[in-house]
Amino acid sequence: MTHGYTTGSPESTPSYGIPQQRPLQPQTVPSSSQAPAPAPKKPGRDRYLDLLRSIALVRVVVYHLFGWAWLSVLFPSMGVMFALAGSLMARSLNRPTMSVIRGRVRRLLPPLWAFSAVVLAMMFAQGWNPAKDPDNGGTWGIVELFDYIVPIGAPPYPWHLGHAGGLLDADWADQAAGPLWYLRAYLWFVVASPLLLWAFRRVPWATLLAPLGLTAIVGTGLVTIPGETGNAVTDFTVYGGCWVLGFAHHEGVLKRVPRYVAVSCSVFVMAFGLWWASGHLGPDGWDLNDIPLAQATWSFGFVVILLQYSPSWQELPGRLAKWDKLVTLANNRAVTIYLWHNLLIMATVPIIDQAYNLPFMESDRAASTLDSTYMLWMFVLVWPLIALAILAFGWIEDIAAKRSPRLWPNGAKRGGRRKG
Amino acid sequence: MASRTRRHGPATPARGGSQRRRLPMRLLLPMLLLVALVAMLMLRGYVHSEILADHRVQPEAATDKVPEKILDGGPVIDTRSGRTTSLKVPDHHIVLTFDDGPDPTWTPKVLDVLKKHHAHAVFFVTGTMTSQHPDLVKRIVDEGNEVGLHTFDHPDLSYQSKSRIDWELSQNQLALAGAAGIRSSIFRPPYSSFADAMDNKSWPVTQYIGTKGYLTVVNNTDSEDWQKPGVDKIIKNATPHGGKGAVVLMHDSGGDRHQTVQALDKFLPEMQRKGYQFDNLTEALDAPSALTKVTGVNLWKGKAWIFLVQASDDITGAMVVALAVVGSTVIGRFVLMLLLSGIHARRVRRKGFRWGPPVTEPVSVLVPAYNEAKCIENTVRSLMASEHPIEVLVIDDGSSDGTARIVEAMGLPNVRVVRQLNAGKPAALNRGLANARHDIIVMMDGDTVFEPATVRELVQPFGDPKVGAVAGNAKVGNRDSLIGAWQHIEYVMGFNLDRRMYDIMRCMPTIPGAVGAFRRSALERVGGMSDDTLAEDTDITMAMHRDGWRVVYAEKARAWTEAPETVQQLWSQRYRWSYGTMQAIWKHRRAIVEKGPSGRFGRVGLPMVALFMVVAPLLAPLIDIFLLYGVVFGPTQKTIVAWLGVLAVQAVCAAYAFRLDRERMTHLISLPLQQILYRQLMYVVLLQSWITALTGGRLRWQKLRRTGVVEAPGGPVPSHRTRSSDRRPVA
Repeated sequence: MTHGYTTGSPESTPSYGIPQQRPLQPQTVPSSSQAPAPAPKKPGRDRYLDLLRSIALVRVVVYHLFGWAWLSVLFPSMGVMFALAGSLMARSLNRPTMSVIRGRVRRLLPPLWAFSAVVLAMMFAQGWNPAKDPDNGGTWGIVELFDYIVPIGAPPYPWHLGHAGGLLDADWADQAAGPLWYLRAYLWFVVASPLLLWAFRRVPWATLLAPLGLTAIVGTGLVTIPGETGNAVTDFTVYGGCWVLGFAHHEGVLKRVPRYVAVSCSVFVMAFGLWWASGHLGPDGWDLNDIPLAQATWSFGFVVILLQYSPSWQELPGRLAKWDKLVTLANNRAVTIYLWHNLLIMATVPIIDQAYNLPFMESDRAASTLDSTYMLWMFVLVWPLIALAILAFGWIEDIAAKRSPRLWPNGAKRGGRRKG
Repeated sequence: MASRTRRHGPATPARGGSQRRRLPMRLLLPMLLLVALVAMLMLRGYVHSEILADHRVQPEAATDKVPEKILDGGPVIDTRSGRTTSLKVPDHHIVLTFDDGPDPTWTPKVLDVLKKHHAHAVFFVTGTMTSQHPDLVKRIVDEGNEVGLHTFDHPDLSYQSKSRIDWELSQNQLALAGAAGIRSSIFRPPYSSFADAMDNKSWPVTQYIGTKGYLTVVNNTDSEDWQKPGVDKIIKNATPHGGKGAVVLMHDSGGDRHQTVQALDKFLPEMQRKGYQFDNLTEALDAPSALTKVTGVNLWKGKAWIFLVQASDDITGAMVVALAVVGSTVIGRFVLMLLLSGIHARRVRRKGFRWGPPVTEPVSVLVPAYNEAKCIENTVRSLMASEHPIEVLVIDDGSSDGTARIVEAMGLPNVRVVRQLNAGKPAALNRGLANARHDIIVMMDGDTVFEPATVRELVQPFGDPKVGAVAGNAKVGNRDSLIGAWQHIEYVMGFNLDRRMYDIMRCMPTIPGAVGAFRRSALERVGGMSDDTLAEDTDITMAMHRDGWRVVYAEKARAWTEAPETVQQLWSQRYRWSYGTMQAIWKHRRAIVEKGPSGRFGRVGLPMVALFMVVAPLLAPLIDIFLLYGVVFGPTQKTIVAWLGVLAVQAVCAAYAFRLDRERMTHLISLPLQQILYRQLMYVVLLQSWITALTGGRLRWQKLRRTGVVEAPGGPVPSHRTRSSDRRPVA
């Protein structure tokens, strides 16, 4: 780094500058045994982002299974997923806008249709009549079914279906279709992205922070928008900050902020989030999903730190390397895993219940052991079920992306490219 | 970032291997210490009912499931092995019962009154109070009274699960066993009163406790002494009618009980005159004693429990004292720093201030370099821009990356290269000193960049003939990363507050290796640089003081350096500094008893450095442990406000230091995070130095660097590197 001193802060530094930490062009002295300068970045998958997405997915499954509120603080999965999607969206928007949106929607919908078909069939089979549902009801209830095809709103579902003691819990529909709000939010973001990106390029800071400000208005009860529109707007503002952070990451804006500024400010924002949460605890205590402003600020700060340190791996380093195939699989089948996981968590229950009928389970002791370890077995069982769902429905993601369908795309065969 | 291997020096694979094996050690001991400390705190909080305490009380419930004979029966309820009976106290017998104790103030007084009137009573003690005051329980038993269980931390049992009830009872017994070597078979539920107050919520609990083999004891009369209604009212409440026997409820704990004691002193003789006897429960019922001796394992478990609780109380007490001491010294130091650095800045910035006649003579600049190929050219070029006449000596300490050749290839006049086999930084400096032509010697590091005015500003204080050495102002160049910003704050505070203060107090402990100047005659008098310690810059500075030279700070002599960028590098750097400082203090310890300037430094400078660099930081984590404890269990809001207050003091000092140095304040936004994370790192490093010093390190004091003893726990501290102790921001 013989010429590394060319920059410096203008005010306090002499003209020849100060030792610079990250030389833009390492000009290594030949005699030194330095590693060769990193090759120019190949356009390809950033495995760091892939890893984050995989962690986020696993966290979502574990959270929905155990219901531990603190998981929402430990790793704000939804914020991370929206930020990653936002970054990819900004990358795609170099191409013509309409075709990008079409492409995104096309990739999203077929997997949803497969899921909708199964879930709706099950609901109708259990006697759900959307026209007579006490919560939704009427013609509107039928119109809302359209959300199962194009999720401009979160699809409706009966709060209680079947009867207690049935094969599935009476709230299975709530559990199964509940996560669909994510698709609605994603769709909104995709459609709004061209506008958001336009705004971001003009007034980056205002666009970045506006969602937090809006959350403070619509997410705190200051202004309440009723119904599904209200939910949609709240989700849009809560995660809008993260989505735009994805833009900022892709456009390199985050890299231009000195790291100490970014991290310190994020910590302030996150501390505010925790403070706000402490004063507005929800029904599940510290579950940030019930506290919009805390969720928005905590996720925002968290994502800033994750993206600020974004090391742009070409491949997973060190000990992480052994997770490579799983990370690849999770990323190729992210939509499938997300769509099906909660229904599959429900499905573990009737399967594990079969164990009570086993001959050696007669004794009270064995039964109570099973009772107390029930969640553990659900956790063990849900992963094979997810694997089955990937085998059964995952290929639809390939079709939707106009690729040849693959059964198990874990990257072992150097198969296809990325999904959207 | 481009990796800069020179920071690690030539690490051999063998050393890398041993590092990996020993790496956990340096984390293990601090972690163990921390866990032990936290466990102690938790135990204390638990025994003092700050953790896990449950203050809910069940409202009254229906009574239709309680057997009639219990509601109408006596206060001693027996539900053992399927029985449902209750017993009354015979006429002209009173069983006094005292709940919630023992209490260090009131229980002894109650016992004194009982003894005076030859009366016995029953004390229903909680596990928490028993654990805290075991000797009182022993006294209660020794004086012929009975003790009964009152649960461990006084919850309303009707809210609790069976396992919690079991635990409350067994933990209470454990405390009794440890305190007095006994167990008890009588029990009184918290928040209980008369037998006819049993309801559908409390009756199942009573039944369950019976199955565990306990008699449940409620009462006939309630003195209501806890309301402090006056002595006469207490006596009136307590007195049974018509010569009947009674179990009387009183309290010897939970607040001011002087009315209880006074009432007892009247009540006992009055009732004794009426023919009443004051017995403990089993005496009154003419039954075998409720207390049985505990032996064997259970006795030892109880004793261990009591010991642990006592130890945790003592340790917490000591920690609070230590914290107060640390807190006040730290605050005092801040005040002193603000004051003295203000005085210093005012003095040297006064119009027309000068140290003496201007120094214009040429000086020698020594640049010891070990594998500095990447930086040396910049370093030397920055010197070429110097406004002061200089000669430059680059002493190549056996580099393997062609450092010397790079300098020679530059072909600059006034720049000489001296080569030596790798022998360490002190040897390189001594060699440079031997080759230097001029009488003023400036020392800098091979990766440091000087401003054109730096050398001139650095040597001006030599106009004063008493000045033997000058410290410059080292600045962090890479301050945009988080760890860089933290070190930037640390450096600015260290140079603008600490060094100014030390300058005024004439006991500056360190001249930074990155930018310092010495009078050759002074260096020669103390024998040049020494490799006795890992911090030869601290060592030489202390030697200067002892030889009677003044050591001053030149604020305008700025040198730009690059701070460690990874935690690993920072760790090893700070480990060297910290351990080196301890070595230097130890080496110069005799100064404390010497006469003259040496003694003055020994009695002012050494204790200051020892206190603030070696002792106080060791106690600093207490602040964080108490903070965490307070946030989780204690008064959360108060704790956070207190912490913010301390942070504000820090911020004020830092802002003042930044203003003195005319630095932009933006970096101060990372101060809160620095306080949370950075300090912990420094603490562990210091603890590690202590461990090294106390185990074996001292045995090879003189030859440390060669044997490499210290680098083992410290991770990558290469034994033969030149820059053993560069640009120290503080002290």
